Amino acid sequence: MTSGYPRSEIADSRPSKRKALRSVGEVFKNLYISITCVCLLLPLIIMLSMSVKDKHQVVFDFFRIAPPFHFENYAVALKYISPYVVNSVFMAVATTALSVLIACLAAYAFGRLEFPGKNLLFGLLFAKMMLPGIMNLIPSFTLAMKMGILDTTLPVILFGAGTAQPYWVFVLRTFVKGQPQELFEAMRIDGAGEVRIFTQLAVPLLRPMITLMSINVFLAVWNDYIWPLVTIQTQSRRPLTVGIAYLTQAHPGDFGMLAAAYTLAALPLVIMFMLGMRQFIEGLTAGAIKL
Amino acid sequence: MAQAAAARAGASLRKTSRKSLRNTWGKSAWIGLAFVAPAVAFSLVFDWYPMLEGMYRSLFSWDGFGKPLFVGLRNFADIFRDEVFWIAVKNMLFFLAANLVLMFPTIIACVVLFRIRSGRAQFVYRVLFCIPMVVPYMVVILMWKFMYNPQYGVFNNLLALLDLKELQRTWLGDPRLVKWCIVFMGFPFVTTNAALIYLGGLKSISESVWEAAMLDGCGPVRKFVSLEFPLIAGQFKLNLIGAISGAITGYGLQMILTKGGPGHSSLVPGLYMYNQAFSAKRFGFASAIGMVLFLVSLLVTLLTMRFVKGQEDIK
Repeated sequence: MTSGYPRSEIADSRPSKRKALRSVGEVFKNLYISITCVCLLLPLIIMLSMSVKDKHQVVFDFFRIAPPFHFENYAVALKYISPYVVNSVFMAVATTALSVLIACLAAYAFGRLEFPGKNLLFGLLFAKMMLPGIMNLIPSFTLAMKMGILDTTLPVILFGAGTAQPYWVFVLRTFVKGQPQELFEAMRIDGAGEVRIFTQLAVPLLRPMITLMSINVFLAVWNDYIWPLVTIQTQSRRPLTVGIAYLTQAHPGDFGMLAAAYTLAALPLVIMFMLGMRQFIEGLTAGAIKL
Repeated sequence: MAQAAAARAGASLRKTSRKSLRNTWGKSAWIGLAFVAPAVAFSLVFDWYPMLEGMYRSLFSWDGFGKPLFVGLRNFADIFRDEVFWIAVKNMLFFLAANLVLMFPTIIACVVLFRIRSGRAQFVYRVLFCIPMVVPYMVVILMWKFMYNPQYGVFNNLLALLDLKELQRTWLGDPRLVKWCIVFMGFPFVTTNAALIYLGGLKSISESVWEAAMLDGCGPVRKFVSLEFPLIAGQFKLNLIGAISGAITGYGLQMILTKGGPGHSSLVPGLYMYNQAFSAKRFGFASAIGMVLFLVSLLVTLLTMRFVKGQEDIK
């Protein structure tokens, strides 16, 4: 929890007028950021207030938060969205597990082992990182069709894991390369095979990066809308994003229930975020700059 | 003759190099290959192949099911004659311009946040900045869609409350307003992702730089122009590329909020591609649109990397 600017002694020994000016500045800065935060969260605040209103209250008492509170909105919403939550959790977890596993294996080999074609294969992954993904949607759809996996969760999982590789192999490899060489040598001298070195040394050392990758891949799948929309036709197999969009169309005017459904849709990740706040933020920040 | 000799030489070279491979690396060569194989295979099958297939299919007329018919560059000629496509491009340029201008509120918010002296306050604000990132984007978009609702939404309600009923609009239903409404959806224009990149950048600058600035005693605006902004130029460049390519190829927002309507007034090329593929079943034509967007986005990204100044060591 370090503030950006060091409080040096020189700064403190300045005349008091300057100090006063500075604290006025602090107030303004805090005010500015606080207002920004409130605006940023305003849609969510409106969502929460709406989620306990019935239709009459939404239409006639929009800006007043007063009893009676209609918590039954949540019970109704939960019934609608719980299957979608299950689908989303399953897809996000499976995609994360698969892509983390194969990315770690590749990152370790690219960072530590020598083998023929290494630079070529790495270049292949690296090049894809630079190329826009806009071309992929339509042929990916036809490929999934040809593979006969449409209307299952497989397209989300397989294509999700595939498109996550270039960036994350690159990031993880950078991290593997930075690990102390001696540890690996020592284990190799002890006669450990590559598989054992990987599972018992490289993976534990990679843990912070694995957390980071997991958070980011999970979020990407959790938030994805277009890809599952086109590949999964059966409503009951669709993820949360598609589910709440559908619910909004299917129940126009049922604002309280819809707001409750949105709240419930946001809840799992908000809880995860609260539990691992520091790790989450550090992770997201590091992920953002580790390009 | 010469060819045969070269072939023989090549073969023997290959043989020796394979032999030496086994000698130098032995088993580890195969283990290395086995380790990278899944990642490479996934990338090839689920990422590279679709991209290349799309490029190839842009030369065909194809409904996605029947037999593709080779038409050469006709799809591209059709695109350039397609009025709707150009409307979409015009809209896209509007969103692109908005994206670029609206990069600055994020930068300013980050710099101001970073200048706050209390570490505790900084942490709390950072947490609040992060919350929109863990709420599914879909929820945020649907909430905004509701807020723009002409009958029950927040904006018209608020105008009624302030006795300004004559200012009420249909918002997303108004062809002249719809693009502005979509842009305004980002209010207060602090993008969490970009903010995290800037904050990370500001944090990684060594303390001595700040101390030097402190001794110079320069004012808040000058400090931004001559110190903070140059120091996060690398991050700016990164976000600039994201903002540009996002505007050129993105369409999720328009798809969910307006489906490109009313009429074509908020249609963007990416959404046009999507509609042409999945509604009109013109897969070849849609692939060609994708190809155009791909090339434009790649070109603009490369130009940005080449010509916008920034620290090269974004690591």
